[in-house]
Amino acid sequence: MSDMEDKKELEQLTNCALCANMCKHSCPTYLATGSETITPQKIARLILYQERSFLEDEQGFFEVMFRSAMCGACKTHCIYENYDLRKFIQRGRSKAFQAGMLPDETRKRVETFTKFGNPNGERQPFQKGTGDLGYFVSCSAYKNQQLLEAMDKIITVSKGQVQQFGGADICCGSPLYYAGDTEGFKRAAQKMKGEMVKRKLRKVIVDCPNCMKMMTEGYHEIGGDLEVEFVHITEFFNTLLRKGKLKVNRANTTATFHDPCILVNDLGISTAPREVLGELGFEIKEPVYSRVDTHCCGGLCGARIGDCKLTDKVSAMRIGELKETNADIYVSACPTCKSVLSGIDMKDITEIVAERIVDE
Amino acid sequence: MNIKTYLSRKEEVPYAFIEKIKQIVGEENVSVKECDLISYSLDYWLYGIFLSQHGNLPSLPCAVISPENSEEIQGILKYANEYKVNITPFGGGSGVLGGAIPINGSAILNLQRMNKFILLDETSLVSEFEAGIIGANLERELNHRGYSSGNIPQSLSCSTLGGWISTRAVGQFSTKYGKIEDMILGMEVVLPNGNLLSINPVPRRSTGPSLKDLFLGGEGTMGIVTKAMLSVHPLPEATVKQSFAFLSIDVALDVVRIVLRGDARPAVVRIFDEAESERYFDEKKNRVTVIFVSEGDSDFVSFERSAIKRIAQEYGGEPLGENPVDIWLEKRFDIGLGPVVMQQGAIVDTIEVVSLFKDSANLYKDMIASLKAVDDALLVSGHFSHFYPEGACLYITFAGFPKDPYRYYQDTWTAAMEATLKNNGSISHHHGIGYWRMQYIQQEMGASGAELLQSIKSALDPNGILNRGKLVGYGR
Repeated sequence: MSDMEDKKELEQLTNCALCANMCKHSCPTYLATGSETITPQKIARLILYQERSFLEDEQGFFEVMFRSAMCGACKTHCIYENYDLRKFIQRGRSKAFQAGMLPDETRKRVETFTKFGNPNGERQPFQKGTGDLGYFVSCSAYKNQQLLEAMDKIITVSKGQVQQFGGADICCGSPLYYAGDTEGFKRAAQKMKGEMVKRKLRKVIVDCPNCMKMMTEGYHEIGGDLEVEFVHITEFFNTLLRKGKLKVNRANTTATFHDPCILVNDLGISTAPREVLGELGFEIKEPVYSRVDTHCCGGLCGARIGDCKLTDKVSAMRIGELKETNADIYVSACPTCKSVLSGIDMKDITEIVAERIVDE
Repeated sequence: MNIKTYLSRKEEVPYAFIEKIKQIVGEENVSVKECDLISYSLDYWLYGIFLSQHGNLPSLPCAVISPENSEEIQGILKYANEYKVNITPFGGGSGVLGGAIPINGSAILNLQRMNKFILLDETSLVSEFEAGIIGANLERELNHRGYSSGNIPQSLSCSTLGGWISTRAVGQFSTKYGKIEDMILGMEVVLPNGNLLSINPVPRRSTGPSLKDLFLGGEGTMGIVTKAMLSVHPLPEATVKQSFAFLSIDVALDVVRIVLRGDARPAVVRIFDEAESERYFDEKKNRVTVIFVSEGDSDFVSFERSAIKRIAQEYGGEPLGENPVDIWLEKRFDIGLGPVVMQQGAIVDTIEVVSLFKDSANLYKDMIASLKAVDDALLVSGHFSHFYPEGACLYITFAGFPKDPYRYYQDTWTAAMEATLKNNGSISHHHGIGYWRMQYIQQEMGASGAELLQSIKSALDPNGILNRGKLVGYGR
């Protein structure tokens, strides 16, 4: 066990490998494909076998490491306390990166990031407003002009002072993290720290759950904690509505909320978006799989980064689950979910808030 | 590959067979990759799991085939007959007797792509699902619509509907809602020759022997169950939890027997022996704990509560309130200790058998005594669950830190099976036979019974392609 941190970690991984796969029912990549190989317990067994040199097909092993959505459903439904299989999958990805054996899609994204400092390619910086309350425009939101306009409207109507920033090479580094490029991720974290300090930010609103996870948990893992308080956009909207800073034209129609996997599994947020939609006058129609039982859209850098066919299957499954509610609109709180689930005309909660508020 | 196998004579799958199968299911749904072969090499047979931590697996399949529907399975089985390729069906992989091990490198038929909810008939209280759906998700689909199947096994989150049918499984709420054979009203099955059999759902029929019973407990040897229609129940309006302490297993069995002799049908009834009472409920007075969960219409539940309470107290039961029930409800899916002690060298497993009430107490005592007498035994405990007016299932947990794991495992199982047969019991209540328990099936059925079962298998599957080496003696 050359790179296992200590004996306890090995015991945890082995517990997982010897478990009856009790979290299997929650795994979206398994449910979308029916593949036993990518269930959490089998992934743990394969990692254990790889560590012990029982495997010959290294390429095949690395392919499995890039077939996880990294959504955290297995952690949420784990029978063991304080265990997260993703930590071990992440190490498997790091080995693939070091061995130069990344899936093609992943390699291309890393190359793009290395060249432009973000996964989108060349782009202009985005900077608007002032103050020590920031709004970080995620790479997914940056690509969507409607989202930026919606957020701008909300800030204006609420008469808030918010410093909006993003674009260019300002990125949390998530694509590198999920590609197993640990050193690259550290550099991205350092760069982000500089951007925060430069803007003298005290608190930052984040639209993308995964960016928020990276800038908190992810940076903490590499010893790069930021001295900034983070708040997800759903919590920000909820506070504005509860404080009466936004007047709304109530919808009186139905909405289904798709819980983004990282928002619920890692950030523990599922009530705030429902409260926001309730304040806007929507009747919530829950899908069969919601809150902690949600399924990833398939687009988190876990699956999308490694296996596009897998992403298509997971997103098709999720669209089918959501459609069953026959709600008037479908809403999420993650720009990536909005993009990946476009087949169901998914809206981001930012757009919905902007649509319903009244500029008096 | 550096994996060691111990139940395998490696057989090469014919190239032409694989090519034909790829045409049926698509190239991406046939795999011979190392990671896939390892992942389908073993179910949750605990001796196999114990060995797996050291890279020892029972047998690697020659290929993994993942069909999407019955039609594809029909095609696969036709070619399996033509090319004489053995096929092992793989549901959730949660079976504890090795029923899904691809002995001698058979091809795995992975049924987990077939995992859809199909319909709910609220008028007739019948639902239909594809057989590869995981139990927890089946329940979620029903609960969302206000219903439950009532089948809640400990493996709920990792076992499939098809697996429940194939092993004649039972859930924790079985005393009220029945066992899987009581719930399954119809099914679709692909027969070993590739023909499709559809048994439409009706409450009962009198059309000769029940064909669906060939597959309820067929363990994938008689056909591949692809869809099933099962009864459902509205979610209960009220739930009442009660528990009592008794001085002995004998008294506790009497209480439950008297309760069930009347009209009461609590969903959950469990009698925990002294060792398990201490382990689960911190019971220090060397007493037996009995828990009851009654659920359904609030008036009926209220009557049932009164009846249970009256009978329990007539037999000297000390009321313990809801707390032990809540503890059990919280711990009932927690299998976390097994992997922890297996890493330390422990062999652990469970054995479930069944007898009439007249034999239940003696069966329990003989079972505990004979398992404790096995060399290197460390822990043996038991509880009764899954009750009938006529008798009950006895569920034993054992663990040891043996010098010779195989010898300890074999001796413990043999002692348990002999104690069961000596007390007129049946060697399995709901886990099935699979690979491991097949060695005792002739003692259970007698020569005539075993021969009959073998004849049925041979008539259905003359080439012996389906799950060879399981349930009946083919290939062992």
